[in-house]
Amino acid sequence: MKKDIDEIREITAALAAGGEMLPQMASEGIHAGFPSPAQDYMSGVIDLNRELVRHPEATFYGRVVGDSMRDAGVEEGDVLVIDKALEPQEGDMVVCSIDGEFALKRISFSGKGVSGAKEASRQKVSYNILGRRDIWLMSANPKYRPIHVEEGNDFTVWGTVTYIIKKIK
Amino acid sequence: MYALVDCNNFFVSCERAFQPELEGKAVVVLSNNDGCVVARSNESKAMGIKMGVPFFQIRNLSDSGRLVVKSSNYVLYGDISRRVMSILRSEAPRLEVYSIDEAFMDLTGVDPATHRSFCLDLVRKVRLWTGIPVSVGIAPSKTLAKVANHFAKRYPGYRGVCTIDTDEKRIKALSLTPVGDVWGIGRRVAPKLEAMGIRTALDFVNMPREWVKGKLGIMGARTWMELQGSDAVPREELEARKTICTSRSFADPIPDLEELSLRVSDFAAICARKLRKENTAAGRVTVFMFTNRFRDDLPQYYPALSVPLDVPANSNQEIVNAALKGLRAIFKEGYGYKKAGVIVDEIIPESQIQGSLFDENAEMRERENVISELMDRFNTSDRSLLRLASQRPGHYAEGIRREHCSKLFSTSWDEMIEVR
Repeated sequence: MKKDIDEIREITAALAAGGEMLPQMASEGIHAGFPSPAQDYMSGVIDLNRELVRHPEATFYGRVVGDSMRDAGVEEGDVLVIDKALEPQEGDMVVCSIDGEFALKRISFSGKGVSGAKEASRQKVSYNILGRRDIWLMSANPKYRPIHVEEGNDFTVWGTVTYIIKKIK
Repeated sequence: MYALVDCNNFFVSCERAFQPELEGKAVVVLSNNDGCVVARSNESKAMGIKMGVPFFQIRNLSDSGRLVVKSSNYVLYGDISRRVMSILRSEAPRLEVYSIDEAFMDLTGVDPATHRSFCLDLVRKVRLWTGIPVSVGIAPSKTLAKVANHFAKRYPGYRGVCTIDTDEKRIKALSLTPVGDVWGIGRRVAPKLEAMGIRTALDFVNMPREWVKGKLGIMGARTWMELQGSDAVPREELEARKTICTSRSFADPIPDLEELSLRVSDFAAICARKLRKENTAAGRVTVFMFTNRFRDDLPQYYPALSVPLDVPANSNQEIVNAALKGLRAIFKEGYGYKKAGVIVDEIIPESQIQGSLFDENAEMRERENVISELMDRFNTSDRSLLRLASQRPGHYAEGIRREHCSKLFSTSWDEMIEVR
């Protein structure tokens, strides 16, 4: 134990003598850890973690596959910033899981703009985490029809999309 | 009052959070190297799969599609654990993180009348924010909070939160708890107690304190006190902090990564051996090196880097792995390194590494560590006769078998979830 303490002293002294840094935490690249917005925080620097991530513990990223949101400007390869802490509101773009698959949709509780919404909503929906009766999932591409969440669907809103990151060069 | 927050089937829940297709299916997570089962979903528990079962014994179930098998993805679990703990800490600053999936919250300052609703909100928040289901046991001592947590998990009626706040509830809970399930009473002691007619936790607390102390020593007496409802596990014990350092100066400066890797591997292995000797494990590994500071004529470089471990560890494999990761990150060509070393800290008793590879199944742990122990037997502190094949540069993680590993969904830009 005494030897350990001596060692540490020696190391600290040597580091100080070298005028170099004390041990620093490994960056994300090493640990692949959770990027803390407070880490390496410097004034006068725009920190995208801070600007784009409101709830760090609840924020995840997703990669867009396919063209279901094409008309909303979301293309294959775009990166979604997804905040699971937010409660989805009418018209929000959400990542939901429906019958075991992730889907990117706009969510609607009114079925506004959906033809035949009223008839379909007569079917009961017993399971959804939002405690609301009707949930419509809409794509931004005429190729895909609106989906009315039915009783048999295993459905949850996984998170709300807050930003879309697009690589253009 | 304490609240023990425990993640339900944590590793499986982490897998499910990013793979909704696993919801409702029988899932198990395997240990390092795909050796044996370290986590089970409720469905796989119901199939009768036991903790610690070797993979080959259940391979037929996975081949026939009845069971989903996942390799352990500790980077993912570590990240999700940090998120969960961070949420808990923001709600209750006096938090003792006990293991990767468990933490004790000190509820001092929270109105007792609102304990339950406070914890129900917490369960909901953690679930919503991270996708991880948690259960909470509330009680006046940590050991009773553990008991309460078992009930919260077992009976859905509690909606994830069970409170033991009256003597009546305490006695009822203890009478329903097998003595071997009590935190602090090992599976080895339990059969002896049962042979003496002590089957439940209530039988145990009904024995006189002196008798318990005589049979089980001071720790047993403490467990007895805790089950009576008095807070007897001191906080410091959960936070034993120490540092182990191994470093050497080299006779001739070492300029190349390969040679340095061998040395750093040895230092890390020595640290790991010390940890095992003391039955502790470290949560962080730091590697550092110096050029010769007395040679003004040569370029100088004194790098150091700390690599946190996802789960505190004491096996050669894990400590060496972390040290080499660190080394590769800070190594620069063009310098002659005169000294290098490895420091391990964030040290906790091995018994506290729960829900992972240690406490749940001693037999399994032995299997995991048999190589390390063999190495201990052959290696003296100055000379390493036996080395991990991977104590060579560049060969690390490749040596570990992970055939069913999921992606680094939450920590890697190239492996995030795909959304259609």
